[in-house]
Amino acid sequence: MSYGGAAPLHQSSQSDIDEIENLINDSVRFGPATILPARPPSSPRASIPVSSSPFVPSALHPLPSSNKKPLPHFAVPSFSAGPSPQGIATDGLGPPTNTLTEPIWDTVKRDLTRIATNLRLVVFPNPNREDPGKALRDWDLWGPFFFIVFLGLVLSWSASVKKSEVFAVAFAVLAAGAIILTLNVLLLGGHIIFFQSLSLLGYCLFPLDIGALICLLGSNVIIKMMVVLVTFSWSSWAAYPFMSTAVSSRRKALALYPVFLMYISIGCLIIAVD
Amino acid sequence: MEEGYTSLPTSHLLGSVPAAVAEESTKGAASESSSANLQIFPPANGGYQAPGSPYGGDDQAANSWRGVCSISSYTPYFNVDTDIVVGRFISSVYPMNDFTGKIDVNPDLYGPIWISTTLVFMLAALGNCATYLMRKRNEPDTMWTFDVTYVNWAACIIYGYALAVPVAFYFLLRYFGCNASLIRLWCMWGYSLFIFVPSSLLLIAPVEIFRWIIIILAGAASSWFVALNLKSYIEGSDLMVLIVSALLLQFVLALFIKIFFFV
Repeated sequence: MSYGGAAPLHQSSQSDIDEIENLINDSVRFGPATILPARPPSSPRASIPVSSSPFVPSALHPLPSSNKKPLPHFAVPSFSAGPSPQGIATDGLGPPTNTLTEPIWDTVKRDLTRIATNLRLVVFPNPNREDPGKALRDWDLWGPFFFIVFLGLVLSWSASVKKSEVFAVAFAVLAAGAIILTLNVLLLGGHIIFFQSLSLLGYCLFPLDIGALICLLGSNVIIKMMVVLVTFSWSSWAAYPFMSTAVSSRRKALALYPVFLMYISIGCLIIAVD
Repeated sequence: MEEGYTSLPTSHLLGSVPAAVAEESTKGAASESSSANLQIFPPANGGYQAPGSPYGGDDQAANSWRGVCSISSYTPYFNVDTDIVVGRFISSVYPMNDFTGKIDVNPDLYGPIWISTTLVFMLAALGNCATYLMRKRNEPDTMWTFDVTYVNWAACIIYGYALAVPVAFYFLLRYFGCNASLIRLWCMWGYSLFIFVPSSLLLIAPVEIFRWIIIILAGAASSWFVALNLKSYIEGSDLMVLIVSALLLQFVLALFIKIFFFV
């Protein structure tokens, strides 16, 4: 049902209402034995805009229009039989998919695919690196969460005493650090999306994760220093384009320095725990 | 009865009555920013002034306050470029430059926050490093493990000092009648900690006498910086006690850094 006559609903609440309707209609129409087809990877999701990004028009603006795309990008493909509120055509392959009733493996696989895609975009060289809007349009927070917890665990395993304090310090520094770094850019007058930045800083921890794992397995201090140096430079290289384009060029160093500080301190923590 | 009321000499206290505007404009030079503000009562300089109003830049910052949770309320305090910040770092190392004049119009909080954070990490990392080197030199057989509680201690001490001491001095200065601006006090104390960053690098050297010389020099420079700037800030009022206590506090911090982290 479209409630466009009254105050227009937000797209996500409209999509939730549609999803519930579809679920009811599905169970009525198809009975319990139907397995709905898997959803393709999701599209850019509604970012929470803190301020508008003048140089990422592609990230923010297509949201209203992407509803109109024929493929079921959102979780709400509308039914062709029922009242179709937003005119989203189905893909013609059969009954529309629902994330509520799909098998768990599909959900997990979709999230893992998204993590892998984001990782490839952010951490590895690819032609879209210079455009921060394209870099992480489909941001998510699962990837950063896994990387932070993994790094804390590896550091905690490496430590011989006070393991829980080491984990606490690593986790606190990384989590609070990501938030503070994002706030720093916003306070300097930069333009970024809060959660996209959190997501990016989390993904850039991946090289340090690898470094910590290698240091866990080896024990020579010199080798540890080399490994940490390499992975730290890799992390910084991954984070650099995003952060430097977010603020004006006169304040680039002010925005980048805290990022380096955080990664250096984690690098020192990796070298030092033994 | 009305006669009794009108005979009271209170007509100069009425700020919003048009008849008093002409009176206000003669005193306008001293309080031009407050004469238009109907909430200042009494409008004459009865001794009350908004905090920080002798430094006119605060009016603009105070007016853009949009609540504690809104980022745009704090943006005026981060309105600095890289070269400005670097200039402030350099002038914090030479106590002779007039730092207070530089930050008067545009105090920033970027410097204090990131100097304190850098100092926390450096003290934790280099303190461990220095303890390791000292232990290896003097008692090569004992096991050394990385003491992660240095991070906790460093954070508590440095953040606590940089936050609490300016607040205490702010209240003390207000008590003694000076007009003080908390932001500028935070700014100055934050930048005064900058000199400890390179000196903690030098403190790694495992020679005890060298470490003491370094920390005494750094502590002296930092304390002198604080004292000079505090003195020029409270221009005129004779509050030597406060200045001396600020100087001593800074020196005590320097000694504490040496004794706790660089054993």
